[in-house]
Amino acid sequence: MKTMETSLAVHSGKLIRSVERRLFLRQGLSLGALALLSGCDLTDDDSVQKLLTGMSRWNDGAQAWLFNPNKLAPEFPESAITKPFPFNAFYSVDEVTLVDGEDYKLELEGLIRDKKSWTLPELYSLPQTSQITRHICVEGWSAIGKWSGVRFSDFLARIGADTSAKYIGFKCADDYYTSVDMVTALHPQTLLTFRYADEILPPKYGFPMKLRIPTKLGFKNPKHIMSMFVTNEYPGGYWEDQGYNWFSGS
Amino acid sequence: MKPLEAIALAAILAAGTGAWAADAPDKPMKMDEPMHGEMKKKSMKKGDVKKAAEKKDREMKPMIEKEAAGSAKK
Repeated sequence: MKTMETSLAVHSGKLIRSVERRLFLRQGLSLGALALLSGCDLTDDDSVQKLLTGMSRWNDGAQAWLFNPNKLAPEFPESAITKPFPFNAFYSVDEVTLVDGEDYKLELEGLIRDKKSWTLPELYSLPQTSQITRHICVEGWSAIGKWSGVRFSDFLARIGADTSAKYIGFKCADDYYTSVDMVTALHPQTLLTFRYADEILPPKYGFPMKLRIPTKLGFKNPKHIMSMFVTNEYPGGYWEDQGYNWFSGS
Repeated sequence: MKPLEAIALAAILAAGTGAWAADAPDKPMKMDEPMHGEMKKKSMKKGDVKKAAEKKDREMKPMIEKEAAGSAKK
């Protein structure tokens, strides 16, 4: 009988191979872009960057087109939860940002009808749901965890977000920022989470809230969210602006 | 809000406060140190994220405000 670790490794391997296939496809497209560069001066960084950025945006569009908003990510039993769940950020665990829960208010901007800010008691009083799903990191590891919170589509409906807009951007207390497409934001498994393993999110997992998107890679799951905005202007993200694929989902 | 709901919310908040107090970091982020993790390029520093966030905010804020103002007029 396979051990849990072997089983996880095999499953994780399949997922990573699936991502790799997409990367291969993307790199194939990038090779196409490289072929187009033959007429360019390779020392002209701006033109190269513009072309590669254009290709990457094209890839985002193709991935968004392929995304099935009704397809659910696998869910797991409590026994499959990875313990301890790994900490991962651009800083060490002893430098985690502390947010004061008593003063906290979630700020809303952009194409939202009711931009009133939300305190934690108000957010905690919304109907909550839980999920046990796999977090997949672009670094090549994955882990299963249990998150609880409000279905993000319900929250967006409650605040009167313009769900015909293209993007939702997030600003975080640790200065990290990212954005997601509206179709993924409305996916039934996308949760605005306040708890991990049935406990209030500890700082290392993103107190006071983390957007949990099991259909996207980990860096598209912002922690310590302080504000969010709805827009049709492409917002990018920290890692996305460094060249990582913006859509990064299945 | 009903008294029972208020008590429940207070308990949840208190539990949250306890959770982060127990898990408090011992040092502030050192912005001039290299980044952690495997996503970075070698030259990246932790403070680069803050600088990039401020630049992004300067770029996006006027566009978002203009967009929202235009939408409110409709």
